Amino acid sequence: MHLAHLRLRDFRNYARLDLDLSPGFHLLIGNNAQGKTNILEAIYLLATLRSFRGAGGAQMTRHGRAGYFVGGNVIGQGEHEVKMYWSSQARRLTLDGRAVRKLADYFGTFRAVVFCTEDLQLIKGAASRRRRFLDLLLAQTHPTYLALLQRYTRALRSRNALLKRRLLDAVALESFTHELLATGSQLIQHRRELMPRFSPLARLAYRRIATDEEELRLEYQPSVQNDFAVELAQSRSRELALRSTVVGPHRDEIRLLLEARSAAQFASEGQKRSIAIALKMAQAEYLTGIHGTAPVLLIDDIMGELDAKRRGGLLPLLGRAHRARSQVFMTVTREDWPAELGRDLTRWEVEAGIVKLAES
Amino acid sequence: MASLPEPVTQLIAALSRLPGIGPRSAERIALHLVQTDAAAVKELSRILIAARERIATCSICGALTERQPCFICEDPRRDGSVICVVERPVDVLIIEKPATYRGKYHVLGGRISPLNGIGPEDLRISSLEDRLAKEAIQEIILALPSDVEGDATSFYLAKVLKPKGTKVTRLAHGLPVGSGLEFADELTLSKAIEGRRPLE
Ligand SMILES: Nc1ncnc2c1ncn2[C@@H]1O[C@H](COP(=O)(O)OP(=O)(O)OP(=O)(O)O)[C@@H](O)[C@H]1O
Ligand SMILES: [Mg+2]
Ligand SMILES: [Zn+2]
Repeated sequence: MHLAHLRLRDFRNYARLDLDLSPGFHLLIGNNAQGKTNILEAIYLLATLRSFRGAGGAQMTRHGRAGYFVGGNVIGQGEHEVKMYWSSQARRLTLDGRAVRKLADYFGTFRAVVFCTEDLQLIKGAASRRRRFLDLLLAQTHPTYLALLQRYTRALRSRNALLKRRLLDAVALESFTHELLATGSQLIQHRRELMPRFSPLARLAYRRIATDEEELRLEYQPSVQNDFAVELAQSRSRELALRSTVVGPHRDEIRLLLEARSAAQFASEGQKRSIAIALKMAQAEYLTGIHGTAPVLLIDDIMGELDAKRRGGLLPLLGRAHRARSQVFMTVTREDWPAELGRDLTRWEVEAGIVKLAES
Repeated sequence: MASLPEPVTQLIAALSRLPGIGPRSAERIALHLVQTDAAAVKELSRILIAARERIATCSICGALTERQPCFICEDPRRDGSVICVVERPVDVLIIEKPATYRGKYHVLGGRISPLNGIGPEDLRISSLEDRLAKEAIQEIILALPSDVEGDATSFYLAKVLKPKGTKVTRLAHGLPVGSGLEFADELTLSKAIEGRRPLE
């Protein structure tokens, strides 16, 4: 799978950008604040409809403009043309010239995995970070997952709104509870099935890049132990006190363990960084295994922080993506790196919102 | 740049409040209207006012009607023992199209939506209960949308109506007729499998 063409209009610091891109390895070289990460952000946006920096549409619109446009031609199984337009008044997403009505229909057109410094939050941050990671992986591999998650979230928010009312309407609450249980049980099922398949991939990836001999394991800790309906009913007094739903997959935790100890509490900074990369490598491997084609890899800023051993673990994955006619985009500030990659790469110079092929 | 005279900008503002009309089309329509023959515009405004004055919601079922009660509520050939509950008045027209349904209707006027501050008391549920008490109703068919609020509203109605001894059914979530399985998304497909029925 690869992106054959990228088109930006008024996106971040790009007034206009049109890039023809081949499969293989692309290096984006430039000084700080020139627009390297902005390109990765746009590519990721095409894949997931989200910014990996958590930015909203207004933030991604070039200063002083009304809206941005991001378009791309994706070659995977067949060729697809994606166009996104955002402004405060209008949002448009078209696939091959036709408006996308359901996001679930769109997901899968283009898959990308991003490696960035923010990934450290997967280990250090709140449980919601790890749930979001899991949810994205499931949305990228299960056509119904996203719709289920949206239904669950809507039912949850509705239910919480009812719990906040001064007078509790028990029948209305029960009506949304019904929906919460139906969708929530399916979410739990999906997550439960994913974990034994994903955890070994993460363990292998960690072994390849880490400098220690410790073993990484992921453990799914669902909020619901056995029966969602029973446990939700038992939580009634707590949810009335807190005016919020306290049991359900929105409270799930995914524990990251090194040698059976919590990585968040006990791992060193270097180990945490390795875990973050291992999780993303495992994500890419999992997607490749399910779909038979490698996702596009977006690598932002993390290389400079890695020592030779960790680079040696990551590079084979990048090389493989290369051979599979997939694509890798990597940002670097110094041109002298990474030498290990050899000559087989396309180098782009990024300067103040202009991208040019580098002279070799 | 010279700006548009105030009556025109007012007209644009009023038009763009209409559903489906964005600022660009509002401007086009407004500029067209102010340059049209005055008699034609008068006629248009007369038709607008007349339409608004003559149309009301049926005092029984809540559908749009010119007379009280509406044709459907008054039609003796329609089966008064079956009532189809819909969300909006236009849903009546949609179900009437194929001309296969012979029962009557009840328009709820919305669905329970805690996130938009709409509770059961904001819907025409008590008037439905009144009808159940007065009319000889044997079956209520729920034909609400199958999103979260629609399904929760169906569940709610079943909960409050069933104890009154009426049969409550809902439309099958199904596959679009005439298209192959490959055209159904997975959620529709799994709902259709859930709602399967024995062959008679
Ligand atoms: N909405 C926007 N409109 C115009 N310019 C923007 C917008 N958002 C960000 N920028 C500019 O984009 C530049 C940052 O781009 P980017 O984050 O891609 O940098 P970078 O090349 O990755 O730098 P670094 O090496 O420091 O990570 C900054 O100059 C910033 O001012
Ligand atoms: Mg950057
Ligand atoms: Zn009527």
